[in-house]
Amino acid sequence: MAEIVMECKNLWKTYGKIIAVKDVSFQIREGEIKLVFGPSGSGKSTFLRCLAMLTIPDKGDVYLRDQCLTKPSVDLNKARAKIGFVFQHIWLFRHLTALGNVELSLRRVLKMPKDEAREKAMEALRLVKMEDWAKHYPAQMSGGQQQRVGIARALARNPNIILLDEPTSALDPELTGEVIDTLRDLARMGTTMLIVSHEMPFAREVADEMIFYDEGAIVETGPPELFFTNPESERAKKFMARLIKKTKRE
Amino acid sequence: MSFLAENLPLIVDGFILTIEVTLFGIFAGLGLGTILAIGDIYGGKIVSTFIRFYVEFFRGSPIIVQLFISVYVIPAMFQTLIDPIIAGFLVFALNSAAYQKGYIKGAMQAVFEDQMQAGLSVGMSKPQTIVYVILPQALRIVIPAWSNEFCSLTKSTAALSILGIRDLTSAFQSIAIRSFRVLEAWIMCAILYLIWITIMTKIFDIVYEKKKIPGIEISV
Ligand SMILES: Nc1ncnc2c1ncn2[C@@H]1O[C@H](COP(=O)(O)OP(=O)(O)O)[C@@H](O)[C@H]1O
Ligand SMILES: [Mg+2]
Repeated sequence: MAEIVMECKNLWKTYGKIIAVKDVSFQIREGEIKLVFGPSGSGKSTFLRCLAMLTIPDKGDVYLRDQCLTKPSVDLNKARAKIGFVFQHIWLFRHLTALGNVELSLRRVLKMPKDEAREKAMEALRLVKMEDWAKHYPAQMSGGQQQRVGIARALARNPNIILLDEPTSALDPELTGEVIDTLRDLARMGTTMLIVSHEMPFAREVADEMIFYDEGAIVETGPPELFFTNPESERAKKFMARLIKKTKRE
Repeated sequence: MSFLAENLPLIVDGFILTIEVTLFGIFAGLGLGTILAIGDIYGGKIVSTFIRFYVEFFRGSPIIVQLFISVYVIPAMFQTLIDPIIAGFLVFALNSAAYQKGYIKGAMQAVFEDQMQAGLSVGMSKPQTIVYVILPQALRIVIPAWSNEFCSLTKSTAALSILGIRDLTSAFQSIAIRSFRVLEAWIMCAILYLIWITIMTKIFDIVYEKKKIPGIEISV
């Protein structure tokens, strides 16, 4: 079996009375694509942010390959450089062009020389088919284009894994397709990804495993077919039924 | 207009001093104001309380009082002499920093939350994100407010004349008294201030336009 890329053990994160991550354990192996779905407000974003250590968990451990990120001595900036993160609301650097967005961490974090960083950044932009937009600023692009640049920014450093938090849910429906196509390309290349998404046809097509997340916990996991035919838990059943109805309506 | 020609050296010297004080005040104030803004956001409770006192003092008292304190009170307390010109430069920088801190902090907070998350997510540290992401956006947004600050700073430098410093106002004060051409003298004085402020405001406008990036221009 392939090597474990990312793992967490008994992870907790609470905000006052709200338990966003409740004793969650999880692992993902090289080349796997896992898809998290579940009701809004259940803690999916918090879970992802904890894995990337953008939010520090209260309890439990996160591992990136052999490195334990929850040990106090860890250089979190270095660790985050090895993780790609794509935000629901995209959050490109607004004062930089598409190229600048991708280049910045190559220059300032990986300390690449200018030419090498530029080449690497252009390569990432080509991957998401945004090379013609390299010189444009975020405000000059559509949401879908911005999110593709967001994906290029996350993958340019050749991270061990990319975490994507609802990468299409802030987009107009007609723009989700191009982002999904990009993700399909990444899947084909064998990129290890953990994706929060409710794009069910896409999930069915690429996910090795689907994870139903509710009330801060992983309720049920299994191959997509399980969820599309006969999920075990009542909660997953209800949620899937609602999702499928909604997708049909659209 | 011959009285002007006669007094030209006096006018030029006064004008130059006013230009120097305003430029020093606005740029030193920008540097210090930026540091204060970062300190206020990141420094924790103690630092930010200290900064709040600093700002309240400089915004809450007339600049003329601040000048008197720097020239009379502080030297007496520490048993030293302070050159009034140096004191004048410092007071204007410190005073302007107190105002600019507010504008810069506001601009930083406006771009802050998501851009900091994005910066951290690509492996940059907080200081790196401030330098490469937050400040480049915040400083662009702040240019129009900065231009206004320059305008009021320049006008308040006239207070220097009360300390006996030979700025533009003080130059025309002595010209008006000596030449008895009160009307012409003060109109001329006003025109020179106007010219200086207009030139600099124009420069700020040009910088703002040149540095403008689609999506982060802010109408003020
Ligand atoms: N920074 C925060 N401060 C306080 N509460 C938060 C914060 N982030 C998330 N929460 C709360 O935690 C819960 C889970 O949020 P989130 O992880 O965004 O869920 P999801 O992504 O599944 O919609 C919500 O009730 C939310 O209000
Ligand atoms: Mg979410």
